[in-house]
Amino acid sequence: MSIAEEYTDTTDDSRFERGLTYLQRNSRAYLLIAPTALFLLAVVGYPILETFRLSLYQSPADSNIETFVGLQHYAEIVDSDIFYRLLWQTGRWVVVGVAGKTIMGLLIAVHLKGDIRGRKFFRTAFLIPWGIPYAISAVVFRWIEHPQFGYLNAILLKLGLIEQGIGILGNPDIAWLGVVVADIWIGTPFMAIIFLAGLQSIPQELYEAAAIDGAERWHQFRYITLPQLKSVILIATLLSTIWTFVSFDTIWTMTGGGPISTTATLVIHIYQVGLQNGNLGRGAAYSVIGFLFLFVFAIIYLRVYTRGGDEL
Amino acid sequence: MQSSNNPESSEDSLDRRRLLQALSAGGAIAIAGCSGGDGGDGGSGDGDSGDGGSGTDGDGGDGGDGGSRSIQFLTMGVGDNIQQYFEENNAAFEEEYGVDVEFTSVTWDNARQTVNNRVDGGQAPDVSRWPARWIPQLVGKDALEPLDDMMDGEFGQKFSEGVAAGTMYNGSHYGVPWAASNKCLYYNKDVFETAGLDPENPSLDSWDDMLSAAQQIRDSDASVPALGLAGADAIETGSQYYHYHWSHGADLVNDEGLPVVNTDGAVEALSFYTDLHLEHGVTQSSPLSSTRQDIRQLFENGDLGMVIGHVYTGLNIESAKESGDVDFDYGIVQVPEGPEGRYSLFTIDAITVLSQSEHKDLARDLIRFYFDEERRFQYSKQKGFLPVVEAVGERPYFSDSKNWAPFVEASQYARARPKLSNFSQFNDRMVQAIQEALADQKTPQKALNDAQSDLEDAME
Repeated sequence: MSIAEEYTDTTDDSRFERGLTYLQRNSRAYLLIAPTALFLLAVVGYPILETFRLSLYQSPADSNIETFVGLQHYAEIVDSDIFYRLLWQTGRWVVVGVAGKTIMGLLIAVHLKGDIRGRKFFRTAFLIPWGIPYAISAVVFRWIEHPQFGYLNAILLKLGLIEQGIGILGNPDIAWLGVVVADIWIGTPFMAIIFLAGLQSIPQELYEAAAIDGAERWHQFRYITLPQLKSVILIATLLSTIWTFVSFDTIWTMTGGGPISTTATLVIHIYQVGLQNGNLGRGAAYSVIGFLFLFVFAIIYLRVYTRGGDEL
Repeated sequence: MQSSNNPESSEDSLDRRRLLQALSAGGAIAIAGCSGGDGGDGGSGDGDSGDGGSGTDGDGGDGGDGGSRSIQFLTMGVGDNIQQYFEENNAAFEEEYGVDVEFTSVTWDNARQTVNNRVDGGQAPDVSRWPARWIPQLVGKDALEPLDDMMDGEFGQKFSEGVAAGTMYNGSHYGVPWAASNKCLYYNKDVFETAGLDPENPSLDSWDDMLSAAQQIRDSDASVPALGLAGADAIETGSQYYHYHWSHGADLVNDEGLPVVNTDGAVEALSFYTDLHLEHGVTQSSPLSSTRQDIRQLFENGDLGMVIGHVYTGLNIESAKESGDVDFDYGIVQVPEGPEGRYSLFTIDAITVLSQSEHKDLARDLIRFYFDEERRFQYSKQKGFLPVVEAVGERPYFSDSKNWAPFVEASQYARARPKLSNFSQFNDRMVQAIQEALADQKTPQKALNDAQSDLEDAME
């Protein structure tokens, strides 16, 4: 068979044969990844399928009986006001949080790359927030922002800037910002370390050549650093987006989703509905929706960022 | 530490029979629909301390008669003030019965989830203590062993009829009453004196009296907030507010178990509650940030004029005074009366045997062991809960105590939250309404109307 014939012959038989040949050629590779694939199927695939199955049932907290309700949970969720409020609050939480962590991480990385005194110390020190369990950091921030016992209010009161403590986490308009600040503080070190590794892989000659051509620091950053860091930024922000989307500890510890559910995200609501109130079916439906959001986001994000043909 | 050193103890002493009658009254209310500690009521005076025990989640016990046996005992909110009690008594039980006690304590925050996970996962403990309010849900899952054999026999004679009935559901006892609690109003005598109020005979009989006193404190040289108001996104915010709700003639559900949270009385109650902050400015700043624990802590530090609290608030202050951490005098009066009466939130915790247990006889032995009279006395004394065993309640330690006597008296005003399998969801919605009104996002009428509508949908 000529090459031309091979590419034009699309009968079922030829497809089958080609598939068989491909498998025979790569059988060893498939054999080697089989244990991992099976393991992933068990620990990832099964829970996803079970969650989807649960979402089709009504399972009241006070009974062992499950009743099949089909897509009723999904219909009711999509029809409810709270769902769209949760989407807005989750989107706000993710966008501001990831943007904050990315910008802060980039700033820190750029400065840590330079030849500054105490660089090793700062590199280590900036990792500390990431090494502390999230819940502990959240407790610390909750107390910092506490209207009666918190350091922030104590300082502001001492300086005479306020007359009585401000309850940031109790104010429905700004509570989410109080939690986002904690999340940015916790998540920035990861971004900084990733960006620093990326910065160190950029050839120094590029900067030297740009300097000879008269490029100033901003232009070097704009036309050398950012393009060279593109794939690193892509991976870091993708991971950060997923982690921020599913993060629970920080919000739950600081506000429990309040006040008036203004800091609740999709994940917090899933916990409240599914585990606190015992409505596993509804909680599972929310989980499936959240999973689909992340899945679609990841695909679009990867497509957009690799549109130019870049490989990760 | 309290009564023996208290010069007022003789004045405050109460008839022992009154204690028993009062506890019975509280328990009787529990039959009608109450009961159970709220998520935080069972917490220790020092707050939940996480896992206070030494055990870990096990595999349900070995169950072999010939080998070493183990029994799993799950409880909640074991704080520093009671951890040693459990350690010593578990060790004594182990020695007496030749078994291992795998003791686990979880925080109240995680309690509900832990229980559901373990029951649903087939890893239920043998014995567990939790709010009696959870009994309907757990019975619905066939998770609890009826304990009629114990409660209908000699063992059950330890409890007054009303208290015993607090663990009854569908005609059977699904637990043994473990602890009870209710509320009173604490006031800081030093703050009252500074504000020109009579610290020994304060006029705090009604909500309006309380408001007048709070306004006087606000306008005085006292540099502390007059009144603690819970408003955070926590179950206890509901617990605090319901005193106002009930005393204005409002209820949470009707006789058919349907929500009735937006009656005229309810609107009046929530209006009064929110006006304390929004109109009168007599509360601590930002009530929406404050849990019940926060305002209790403020009071225990001497930084608050008044707060509604449990027995253990007074016990904590006494301990702090003994160690020199605080130095102020306080008084305890009944929760103020509203237009339609006076109520004190009453809760019962139960200790239960799980139907999954393979050691049900041993589990019953563990319960009997912990209901030794002296052990119950030490538990109430150290933990700060009303005694549930009649013989313990008869002890002068309680009726003669400045700290305990008002709470014994308060038992006649006992009222519990409705016994609903989805009460957590119900309460969450009520807390949301309270917050919406406190944040001035909605009028009390609108907040309660919306809550009523949502609750009707949820309870269809």
